[in-house]
Amino acid sequence: MSKPSNAIRSSVPEKLFNAFNHLFFILAGITTLLPFVNLLAKSLSSESAVISGTVGLWPVGWQTGTYRYVLQNAMFLNAFQVSVLVTVVGTALSLAMTTITAYPLSKPRLRGRKWFLLLFIFTMLFSGGLIPTYLLMHNLGLVNSLPVLFLPAMVNVFNMLIIKNYFEGLPDSLEESAKLDGAGNIRILLYVVLPLSLPVLATIALFFAVAFWNDYFAPMIYITNPSLKPLQLYLKELLVASGGEFLKDNVDAALNTTPQSIQAASILLATVPILLVYPFLQKYFVKGVLIGSVKG
Amino acid sequence: MKRSTTLAAQTAPPRRPAGYFRKLRSDVFKEWDLYLLLVPGILFILLFKYTPMYGIIIAFKDFNIFDGYAGSPWVGWKHFEKLFHSADFVRVFRNTVIISLLKLVFLFPLPIIVALLLNELKNVIFKRSVQTIIYLPHFLSWVIVSGLFIDLLSTNGGLVNKALVAFGMEPVAFFLDSSVFRSVLVTSAGWKETGWSTIVYLAAFSTIDPQLYEAAKIDGAGRLKQVWHITLPGIAPIIVLMLILRLGNLLEAGTEQILVMYNPTVYNVSDVIGSYVYRMGLGNQDYSFTTAVGLFEAVISFALILSGNALSRKYLQRGIW
Repeated sequence: MSKPSNAIRSSVPEKLFNAFNHLFFILAGITTLLPFVNLLAKSLSSESAVISGTVGLWPVGWQTGTYRYVLQNAMFLNAFQVSVLVTVVGTALSLAMTTITAYPLSKPRLRGRKWFLLLFIFTMLFSGGLIPTYLLMHNLGLVNSLPVLFLPAMVNVFNMLIIKNYFEGLPDSLEESAKLDGAGNIRILLYVVLPLSLPVLATIALFFAVAFWNDYFAPMIYITNPSLKPLQLYLKELLVASGGEFLKDNVDAALNTTPQSIQAASILLATVPILLVYPFLQKYFVKGVLIGSVKG
Repeated sequence: MKRSTTLAAQTAPPRRPAGYFRKLRSDVFKEWDLYLLLVPGILFILLFKYTPMYGIIIAFKDFNIFDGYAGSPWVGWKHFEKLFHSADFVRVFRNTVIISLLKLVFLFPLPIIVALLLNELKNVIFKRSVQTIIYLPHFLSWVIVSGLFIDLLSTNGGLVNKALVAFGMEPVAFFLDSSVFRSVLVTSAGWKETGWSTIVYLAAFSTIDPQLYEAAKIDGAGRLKQVWHITLPGIAPIIVLMLILRLGNLLEAGTEQILVMYNPTVYNVSDVIGSYVYRMGLGNQDYSFTTAVGLFEAVISFALILSGNALSRKYLQRGIW
């Protein structure tokens, strides 16, 4: 680079850089949002417009019948209910289980702590694999049941370590003074530690909820019964059936919609719950990730 | 359980470890409630994680579901010999490594660059809005992302093909074309995770001492020089750590994404170990062979992670976990 007068030289390229940098992020933002806008436009466009492929970012031949159809579709509604049920029950149980496991492991005085931790961490590094796991579920009679969608995921070692690290950061004096008052470990956990740990618990609860809501792999492996299929599995089948008989048979010809619009509407409706929790997620997740990256 | 340990401790000859177990026993007795909290978690991982590890023995047997684990005959290394001579496996292994490496080469540097650029944004509201938008795709499922891309890349009115046609090019059937499908996998993975992956680097920036920048400014270093001489060296340990973690996942090329997005026309370029085990194992019920394939993957991944951890300890003075 050339030498002359520092102050002037740096300001012009810097302005240029700033302009390009802003432009870059505006483009990045558009790239992220564009697919949604396109999908929304498709879901609200008429049959002829979608079939002729003229829909871009704005609906052509406005209609809302697609949403009415999807929201009245028994399979969609059933899948939605299954997903809500699995997410709520799974998150509650997993959070409880992960927390009570993290607490003793956060105490350096726990004799054998190293070995217990190793027992848990080893499961992150090595696994029996898909087939032995499937056979186990089969032998337990869990295939084609809803518990199989959350029971195996309940002790999430990664989340457990985040909570454990958070517990380790709490001052010991709290526990000691509660002990002097005669409280046992479980009482201390419930009434002293947990109320102080709401941010990390909220983060982990949201992580669990998003993971359960988005899970496709477990239902794909274990669920074949149509009435037990959660939303992601239903959506995947809807996508595969694109333009196929599966939808054509089911769609009323008078509805002025297409399988593509139905897919679009279903995808967007399945995203709504994520969008609803996203503001909360955002508030907590950065903190959660940071806690996680601090080594215990 | 407590009784049996007591009994064992009484009858066992006094060896050295007994001292440890006696202390453990007295601790368990003193703080039984603390240990009690551990019981459900341990039972769960024993059942759901360690029992399948025992199930790996079927990789060395001709397993059939009627004879079960114990009844099925041992066959030694038969399935591993088959594996190393199977053209299918070679193809699947190749695909796995290629897709992983493509993702590594294109998607590993990207969040670092984006994080550096984000760091240069001085307008807080603009910066926060950008972050809000680019973090979002991380929270969508692969099924949803796949749906978005199927639509975006469709030959019937997909925006990308519209643009191609507008520039006078032929439309491309992205999901059915073996020559471009891997790029679809890499691009959609980048779209989903790049924004989110910046977080860890942004956090690392905040650990850099601001005085270094002040000093550099006084010495006349421009922004680029500051990035090169202060920011990058400052986050180098995190970059290396992330790289090590990625290498440990070399044989997990994104199974869930691929299972959601691929189809028989592109199996030749996108079938990876995970998807192959799923199709052959559960689809064809070739349990023993696919367990062998899974074990092969698990052992290599385990070795990679352990070496990564050793490297990390040696050069970064911290382990991965």
